[in-house]
Amino acid sequence: MEYILHLAILVGIYLILAQSCNLTIGLGRLFNLAHVASYALGGYVTALASTELEMGFERCLISSALVAGLFATLLGGIALRLAGDYFAIGTLAFASIVSSLLINWKSVTKGVLGIPGIPRPEIAGVALYDNVQFGCLLGVIVIASLVILYCVFSSPFGRVLRGQAEDQLAMMALGRDVRLINTLGFLIASVFAGVAGSMFAYYINYIDPSSFSFSEMVFLVTIVVVGSPGSFWGCIAATFFLVLLPEPMRFIELPSSILGPMRQMIHSLVLLAVVWLNRAKLFPIQREV
Amino acid sequence: MDIVPQLLVNAAITGSIYALVAVGFSLTYGVLKILNFAHGHLMMTGAYLFYFFTVEMALSVPMAALATCLASITMALIALVIFVNPFDRYSPMLPLVTTLALATILESCISMIFGVNVRSLESGSSAESYQIGSIFITPLQLVIIGTALMFLVSIAFLMHSTSFGRRVRAMSERLAAAQAIAINSPAMKGVVFTLGTIFSVYAGIMIGYETNLQPTMGHGYTMKALAAMILGGLGNLWGTILGCYTISVLENFAVGLDFGQYSLPAGYKDAFAYFIILMVLLIRPEGLLSFRRRMA
Repeated sequence: MEYILHLAILVGIYLILAQSCNLTIGLGRLFNLAHVASYALGGYVTALASTELEMGFERCLISSALVAGLFATLLGGIALRLAGDYFAIGTLAFASIVSSLLINWKSVTKGVLGIPGIPRPEIAGVALYDNVQFGCLLGVIVIASLVILYCVFSSPFGRVLRGQAEDQLAMMALGRDVRLINTLGFLIASVFAGVAGSMFAYYINYIDPSSFSFSEMVFLVTIVVVGSPGSFWGCIAATFFLVLLPEPMRFIELPSSILGPMRQMIHSLVLLAVVWLNRAKLFPIQREV
Repeated sequence: MDIVPQLLVNAAITGSIYALVAVGFSLTYGVLKILNFAHGHLMMTGAYLFYFFTVEMALSVPMAALATCLASITMALIALVIFVNPFDRYSPMLPLVTTLALATILESCISMIFGVNVRSLESGSSAESYQIGSIFITPLQLVIIGTALMFLVSIAFLMHSTSFGRRVRAMSERLAAAQAIAINSPAMKGVVFTLGTIFSVYAGIMIGYETNLQPTMGHGYTMKALAAMILGGLGNLWGTILGCYTISVLENFAVGLDFGQYSLPAGYKDAFAYFIILMVLLIRPEGLLSFRRRMA
């Protein structure tokens, strides 16, 4: 039972993370390889604010979201000038700088040792040490985030984001400020990544740079691509599918040194298969008329 | 300032390794017009194959080199046929995704087979080092610098004095025009991709002798090659090689020199390359040595 709850919490965190990633990589076709950096920033802000500054749950969550949002504004301002694969390279360089800071800025992030002892959130004076209670809190946050993101996806703003992915010039000709729209999309995605990072830090109680490595970014790309980029429900289904897919392997007696790489390998094979099948209409988007 | 000559020598060593890695990366971008995010992982896999042949199969070094060479050619062709060729005519973004998948697959395979701990290729003579003035250098490091120069000279010959090189340069200049004058582009792509992989595998083996091998080492070297290529201009081979040595000098001096309270901890060495990528993309996106404008 504890194990199922753990899986549910994991799926919940990834639902926020993957859906916000879907907003940029999927809907906007902005190949943002710095999404995990926003996630990491959210996690570290919560970890530092709750251990060093002893801030409460709400303030930690909000400051995580704010810092991730600031990061996105900075990144968007710099990287959105670039097009196509240059954009991917720029965001990747940004993400690498962030992860290098997490490892090397030892006086703040404690380097590879990570930050232990993050307290569980406290709501109205009750600390949620129990995973069931924490799961309920996370459930509320996940549903709220998904509802907001659904509204973004189906709003006029979402349509403009989708439109500029298909034909940027046409969108500009319609009088839309594409740069502004993209930056806003970035900002929203990054804020939710920050929220996901905050919840991750609260759940695991411990945070270190290895949770935010580049393979995590590849995993997010896998989820978005498998769920058909830009599709809200597809992304949710893909999150369930891909997070739960390697779990049956736990019941085969395999050493943990095999288990981690095996999980990554299965994900990459799924990614390759899905890209292979959809290669004609993934990038650039081709409408089925 | 007596540390400066030693830093220059160190920069020459790492720069040579970066150059060997980046040659393949740049040639692949020039001819196939894709960013091969698995380049460093192909290098890592090749180096592990060499480790397997020398240490675990106990072959002699020439035999192991031959076996690694054949295995690397096979590996490169398989990677090309499965992960690049089906995709690159649709969009340059697709190979970006599939080479990410290839990178992860290679890394997880190697860590499943050899474990995640560091492995070292044994070199008997690594303990002794020559001293010239205030510079210390080991025979292996001399070999690295020497062979890298040799390889670069042979590439220069290949690219600028043979019909193969002319065809490669024609393809990276304008693919459609090259195909129109009957250059067999699929075959050329295969040869270039394989050649690049072999160069980087050689670099990987040298890294294995000089320091050690680790399944996670690939990504860092891909990023170094990427930074060098951005610095020198995309697909511009000589710019990229110059970029490699520039990055190597910059990062060695940034970390090695003592700036008092502003001196950088050694851990930031890698971040330097990422910073260079960002700066070049912002200030001169077409690369320092490129004179053609491009859409940004």
